[in-house]
Amino acid sequence: MKILVATSGVPFIRGAAEILAGSLLEELSEAGHEAELTVIPFKDYPPNRIPDQILACRLLDLTESCGIRIDRVIGLNFPAYLIPHPHKVIWLQHQHRSAYDLWDQPAAGGLVHSPDGPVIRETIRRADRELIPEAEAIYTQSLKVSDRLLRYCGIAAAPLYYPPANALLFYKSPPADYFFFPSPINAANRQWLAIQALAQCRERVRIRFAGEPGSRTQQAECVHAARKLKLNDRIEWLGGVSEDRKRDLYAHCLGVVFPPADEDYGCVTLEAMLSSKPVITCSDSGGPLEFVLDRQTGLVAQPTSESLAQAMDMLWADRGCGAAMGEAGRARYRDLHISWANVVEKLLC
Amino acid sequence: MRILIVTVRVPFVRGGAEVLAEDLCRVLIEAGHQAEIVAIPFKSYPPERILDQLLACRLLDLSETGGAPVDRLIGLKFPAYLIPHPRKVIWMLHQHRQAYDLWQHPLNDLHTYANGLDVRSAIHAADMKLLPQSRGIFTISRNVALRLKAYCGLDATPLYPPPRDGGRFHTRPAEDFLYFPSRINRLKRQDLALRALALTRSRVRICFSGPADDRGFERECADLSRKEALQNRVQWLGAVSEEEKRDLYARCLGVLFPPLDEDYGYITLEALLARKAVITCADSGGPLEFVVHRETGIIAEPTPQSLATAMDDLWDDRDRAKQWGDAGRQRYSDLRIDWGNVIENLLQ
Repeated sequence: MKILVATSGVPFIRGAAEILAGSLLEELSEAGHEAELTVIPFKDYPPNRIPDQILACRLLDLTESCGIRIDRVIGLNFPAYLIPHPHKVIWLQHQHRSAYDLWDQPAAGGLVHSPDGPVIRETIRRADRELIPEAEAIYTQSLKVSDRLLRYCGIAAAPLYYPPANALLFYKSPPADYFFFPSPINAANRQWLAIQALAQCRERVRIRFAGEPGSRTQQAECVHAARKLKLNDRIEWLGGVSEDRKRDLYAHCLGVVFPPADEDYGCVTLEAMLSSKPVITCSDSGGPLEFVLDRQTGLVAQPTSESLAQAMDMLWADRGCGAAMGEAGRARYRDLHISWANVVEKLLC
Repeated sequence: MRILIVTVRVPFVRGGAEVLAEDLCRVLIEAGHQAEIVAIPFKSYPPERILDQLLACRLLDLSETGGAPVDRLIGLKFPAYLIPHPRKVIWMLHQHRQAYDLWQHPLNDLHTYANGLDVRSAIHAADMKLLPQSRGIFTISRNVALRLKAYCGLDATPLYPPPRDGGRFHTRPAEDFLYFPSRINRLKRQDLALRALALTRSRVRICFSGPADDRGFERECADLSRKEALQNRVQWLGAVSEEEKRDLYARCLGVLFPPLDEDYGYITLEALLARKAVITCADSGGPLEFVVHRETGIIAEPTPQSLATAMDDLWDDRDRAKQWGDAGRQRYSDLRIDWGNVIENLLQ
């Protein structure tokens, strides 16, 4: 099959969507298809530019190339998934959240602050409601994204999970004395919450953080807070680490701490499961809750420092329990059939 | 600088334009800039779709990304070069040639559509009105600049892109063959070369390399060489690796490059780098910017007889062929065909 993967992208910025598109292309080629990526540039400000770019996508024609039919278009994100095609499948990574759930969270910025925000919001919602159903099939990256699509647009779609990059290379080793917290350092990933929790632990719990500082100020605040709480000898900031090093850190940890605020998907959970490690997450963390079964494959704490501290103390004190949860997580990963073969089959059927 | 190169892409097709965009991007990055290619998908039929895509390009916004300005936009191909930007330069590979010099050309069909004429007018209007909304217009060749002047009345400066891996071309003593490196299709005129070969006085030999774009034409060429009993004087190598190609350039007596109205033609430049004389035709377009008649090669008339005379000329006087090759190499240096020069002009 000749397949085009269509995404919207911000030039010079490489994020999760680009990495996913790259992996999808590789898998499609390996499955014997001719697959190519088309990236439509997207700029979401000022808000009145958004409808222009919806229109631009609608004006493109990906039906054929030099007289040869393009058999399938796979649309990943807004507004590229609105490009028309008779055999389109949408694998929705995210809608334009600022017109949906983030509308009610002014702190996240976006449309709500603009005088023409309400009009633009309606334009986006109408385009999604009327045009997404043109696709032959609609999948999403997670239950959360499915829920949102159903709630706001009345469109039902099943989640289609994909494995983290290099899934086969994750392994397990006997646990050493640290929890692993792998995420870019920013407010939404809540390293700060983990630090506050650490101060309240009864055990001498230790955490190793890996990840680029998404925001310098957040990194500085975290370091400052740790110093003030005299936690320096119980925290390590590793910064960005190589993929090899990351897998080693997973393999040797006691458990993975992953308490983000309302994450869409979160490969961290899956990487932890592949490494047979229990995951500590929070009841408002979103994506991880699709995978973590409380007290079976990890612990779901309240998003408070007390509750998170209790969860960490519990796994720290009872190593046998942590190991059992890790094994259960590994088994759950297998049962979920999270594989590229499954993704490719669904997207092309 | 943060620089975006904008072009169009026909999905699943990769050619010289893609190579050029990638080379430019790499060279900008090596020069310390942040550079990326934005490729808008393009489909040129039915004609009304061209205008839809032109509008799509006008609706995009590449003035900034993630809150930081894009310092320069470099537009390469229609209609992507019409994407608006306050600091845009155009380095035109070509306009939509079906609406210009290839209008009513037997190999194109825009004029056969009921709305063909309207679409052509709209393309002309867009180019004429919107191309000047840039800080400068460069073209990859004088041929493209002349066309732009003739059809749109716009002035542009040629800015020649160097061939890929220019530094790896080398030369060796001439052996007994002329080299004809081109994809096999009607516009490259392998058939003309064969008809000329049949008329040469000397036992000239030609070595062809390049994949066939057009199977029918490839067969015609094979039939022709059989009919004229030229089989043992021609060799068809098909697609060859870059290294083999450079070796053939190095060993040949001269390069045969007689296409019909080529936009630019890396082949001329590669021949100059390999210190070989070039035989081309008076209607070949791009090569004429580089070949100086009887100084670095021969410009023949596009007839079998004239081309045959040129081939005999080169074949019979090997010393002169070598002198012309050396003079060609000097001309290449004088023309400042290097990426440093390209970048300097595009970013000034």
